[in-house]
Amino acid sequence: MALTLGAPGTRPGAPPQGSTSRSRRRARERLTVLGFMAPALAGLLLFLVYPLLASVYFSFTKFDLINPPQWVGLRNWSFLLHDPNVRVAAYNTLWLVVVMVPARMVGALTTGILLTRFRRGAGVYRTLFYLPALAPPVAATLAFVFLLKPGTGPVNTFLAKLGIEGPLWFSSPHWAKPSLVLLALWGIGDLMIIFLAALLDVPQELYEAASLDGANAWQQFRAVTLPAISPVILFAAVTGVIQTLQYFTQAAVAASVAAGQAQSGGGISGTFGYPANSTYTYPLWLYVAGFRYGALGYANVLAVVLFVVSILITGILLRRFRTFLGSDR
Amino acid sequence: MSDRRLSKIAIPALALVTAVALAACTPAKAPKPVATPGVEPSGTVEFWHFFTDREAKAIDSVIDDFRAKYPKVTVAVKSGQDDTKMLQAIGAGKGPDVGLSYSTDAAGQLCNSGAWVDLKPYVDRDKIDVSKFPATVRSYTEFKGKRCAMPFLADTYGFYYNKKIFADAGITSPPKTLSELTDVAKKLTKRKADGTIQRAGFLPLTSFYENGASHLYPMVNAKWLNDDNTSAIGSDPAWKELLTWQKQLVDWYGYDKLEKFRASLGDEWSADNAFQKGQVAMQIDGEWRIAFIRDQAKDMDFGTAPMPVSDNQPDRYGAGYVTGNIMGVSKSAKNPEAAWALIRYLSTDTGAIVKLANLIKNVPTTSDALANPGELATDEQFKVFLDVFQNPNSLHMPITAIGPALEETMANFMQTYASGQAKDLDAGLTGVDQEINKQLQLAG
Amino acid sequence: MTAPARPNAALFFVARHSLAIALSLMFLAPVVFLVLTSFMTSQQSLTSNLWPATWHPGNYADVFAKTPMGRYLLNTVLYASLATVFMLLSSVPAAYALAKLRWRGRYAVFVAIVCVMMLPPQVTTVPLYLLWATWGLTGSLWPLILPLLLGDAFSIFLLRQFLMTIPDEYLDAARVDGCGEWRALRRVVLPMARPGLAATAMFQFFYAWNDYYGPLLYTSENESWWPLSLGLASFRTLHSVQWNLLSAATLLTMVPIVLVFFLAQKAFVQGVTLTGVKG
Repeated sequence: MALTLGAPGTRPGAPPQGSTSRSRRRARERLTVLGFMAPALAGLLLFLVYPLLASVYFSFTKFDLINPPQWVGLRNWSFLLHDPNVRVAAYNTLWLVVVMVPARMVGALTTGILLTRFRRGAGVYRTLFYLPALAPPVAATLAFVFLLKPGTGPVNTFLAKLGIEGPLWFSSPHWAKPSLVLLALWGIGDLMIIFLAALLDVPQELYEAASLDGANAWQQFRAVTLPAISPVILFAAVTGVIQTLQYFTQAAVAASVAAGQAQSGGGISGTFGYPANSTYTYPLWLYVAGFRYGALGYANVLAVVLFVVSILITGILLRRFRTFLGSDR
Repeated sequence: MSDRRLSKIAIPALALVTAVALAACTPAKAPKPVATPGVEPSGTVEFWHFFTDREAKAIDSVIDDFRAKYPKVTVAVKSGQDDTKMLQAIGAGKGPDVGLSYSTDAAGQLCNSGAWVDLKPYVDRDKIDVSKFPATVRSYTEFKGKRCAMPFLADTYGFYYNKKIFADAGITSPPKTLSELTDVAKKLTKRKADGTIQRAGFLPLTSFYENGASHLYPMVNAKWLNDDNTSAIGSDPAWKELLTWQKQLVDWYGYDKLEKFRASLGDEWSADNAFQKGQVAMQIDGEWRIAFIRDQAKDMDFGTAPMPVSDNQPDRYGAGYVTGNIMGVSKSAKNPEAAWALIRYLSTDTGAIVKLANLIKNVPTTSDALANPGELATDEQFKVFLDVFQNPNSLHMPITAIGPALEETMANFMQTYASGQAKDLDAGLTGVDQEINKQLQLAG
Repeated sequence: MTAPARPNAALFFVARHSLAIALSLMFLAPVVFLVLTSFMTSQQSLTSNLWPATWHPGNYADVFAKTPMGRYLLNTVLYASLATVFMLLSSVPAAYALAKLRWRGRYAVFVAIVCVMMLPPQVTTVPLYLLWATWGLTGSLWPLILPLLLGDAFSIFLLRQFLMTIPDEYLDAARVDGCGEWRALRRVVLPMARPGLAATAMFQFFYAWNDYYGPLLYTSENESWWPLSLGLASFRTLHSVQWNLLSAATLLTMVPIVLVFFLAQKAFVQGVTLTGVKG
């Protein structure tokens, strides 16, 4: 059994404790924890408390970056209720969360499992699978979108040879989001590596014991693998949701490339959401409202809402799968 | 350390951090007073602009002339900058002294927020005659009575057509009305055996190259804002006419086929430009396209003309869209007097303007420069754009505090309607109205 | 368990490898596209001709001629290495304390750390930027590097999960032997957590290597501090994008980290096989 710090207890074979040495020990243990946690706690102040307070404050102001913020009370918040863009943006982002996160997790898990089956050549395959994740996101998105260009793009040309008429991919309002999911699956290397590390940590003996009990591959997977890697699965789910709620770069670049205006300078935000707002994610709207239209106060309203939604979803995930977090209460 | 002591440290630390942060948001120092006339400008001026390559070199040569005229001023030039970078830098107190903005969209925001200072004191002190600038140019360099920008060359949008394709089809002159445009477009369109588009007479999608809401609306003289600064889009029948015309042509091509075609076309700025390659027979574009064609497609036989106009307003033919780049002095400028000297030179010195206009093939902005524009006067294809620029019916979008939001909101709807996603035109236009009105309220 | 029949094993072998090869081709395709584009002329790039009509290996030399790639590389290496080292120094102890030590408020702090990831970056940038501007550190990469001394939420979370998979028995044994927590961490836990450590370190390194928006915000006005990611952006300008050079530069940017990955992957794939059942 693990020791519990701060709890009165007797270690086997230890001398009897007096109350002063016990509290001294407790103080020492607390100091140890503080020593471990100090930088991270300071980080919490700087990266959570301060920006969050600032954000909440700014959400009640009219702020354009140039002049000091002016208090306007609830005006920004009431705009939220009437904002048509936010409904479209929220829908797009939630769609991506519901589709992209599970897709990536399933894809990463299956490719990870596939890789565990190799002894020779594993290193090469691993590098090849991971390669897309190493490409700078802007260039990667660009290449991917270009390959999927309708009309003359290589993918559709190839499909045409097979007699299939390829869809318009990033240029079609119905296919744009699924195409973004494909892009995310292409970049699955980073998640796959995490799963791979966890999969390789599962002790062989457990599998041998299970197969001795007559379990087939699928049953072994359910009974041995899944529980053993569950902390990592939960991690993937939580970070996946958080990151997808903030999905920005790829949507922006894909839209601008698909709209045929892949240059900077004049501001590509005119092409955000192309086609027909189908790729206009919530963070894109936040960026445009704050930095292009100069309504930074309202952008902070959007940010606070996003933060609250993230907490809610994460909270649900953490509660339902509390067992995967180990004994921590 | 107990939890209570921990919070004793945490809270003061938090307060300190917040105080520092809010201190960072305090207003800047009071603006420097305008110097008396006759003071020779001196010091360093940092000048940010967005041009690159060939065009940046042109700017450099004119800056050299400025340096010769004002030897005490050192100009540091940074090319390839954009509006967002500039705004951010100004907000942090470290931006350029003089900024050149790509579009006039930002004028409202820059003036409203004070990022660019009001130049009226300088204009009055040096007795600059702003009537030398055409009315449209004056309109996009000021906002709510504050003149916070000076114009830097202008752009005019007109009509380009492929003379060879016209000749092959027996068409002698460019279309003057929307219905003529539709007819010619249909006639010049070629399809492959499987129905896909091989050549489009005219590509009506808002997302194609320079189409955009701001460049299409002059054809019907549609109104953006009412006099009380609310959106006029839902109530102006001209918008309905424009979108109906656009949708009819899009449907004739077939949206899917058209979008596929558009997506397969080359990059607007590359040698693969669809018009330059003959894949699109007619297009709306700016006057700088002439320079690009002469550089990238020397053998092309092309013609320029004003854009077609609505069948209901045939006398408006000759009008187009006028816009330009604008310059301003940042609020964070360390040397406003020298900065103003540079702006004044670039915007009012006839020699400088004519030189720049000829080098970059943009339109000069002052009446003096227009009277004697050098080589541009004899350039037949360019002359069309000079005429459009001076045509009193030419338009520029209204300057608002929401900047690009006005056009982007409308362009968005135009795309959605053309694609068939939005079915009710009237309801859609009313929706645009509401959105724009809300945004205007938000921006104050 | 009966030994599988010979043909069955061969079938699985072929199936495994065909699947892996097919996947590899799909993963590689866009990279191949970048490679081909990097050898084209500027005119041909992004047209529908995918095979270079003429080969221009000189593009790679052009990249070095047009931009100071050497300096960008140095800045990138500096940023990525320091970021990784600082992250490990601050995040490993925190992850350990959250995973293996028991103290009141542990779960609350853990949730708070996860919350750091939930603030959209567009919004945290403004208050943080103002702070750094007051301290005069903008125009360099320090605003991106120094904060890692205070931990990185993603890394702490990941490390914690990895550390939780290490059975407590090993730690208890060490504690019984009188080991202090620091020594327990160094001597016992870290060696066993090597795969997780390596993975986390690698992610931090690659993230910093490809980070574009951070350096854009803090160093765009000061070219001497630009990392490779900003250098890539200099091939994109208002009126023209040199896709061929951009592709070449992109590939050059990728080569070092691909090598790092290939060489380092052994470190974390070396699965730690534990004896004894977890419980």
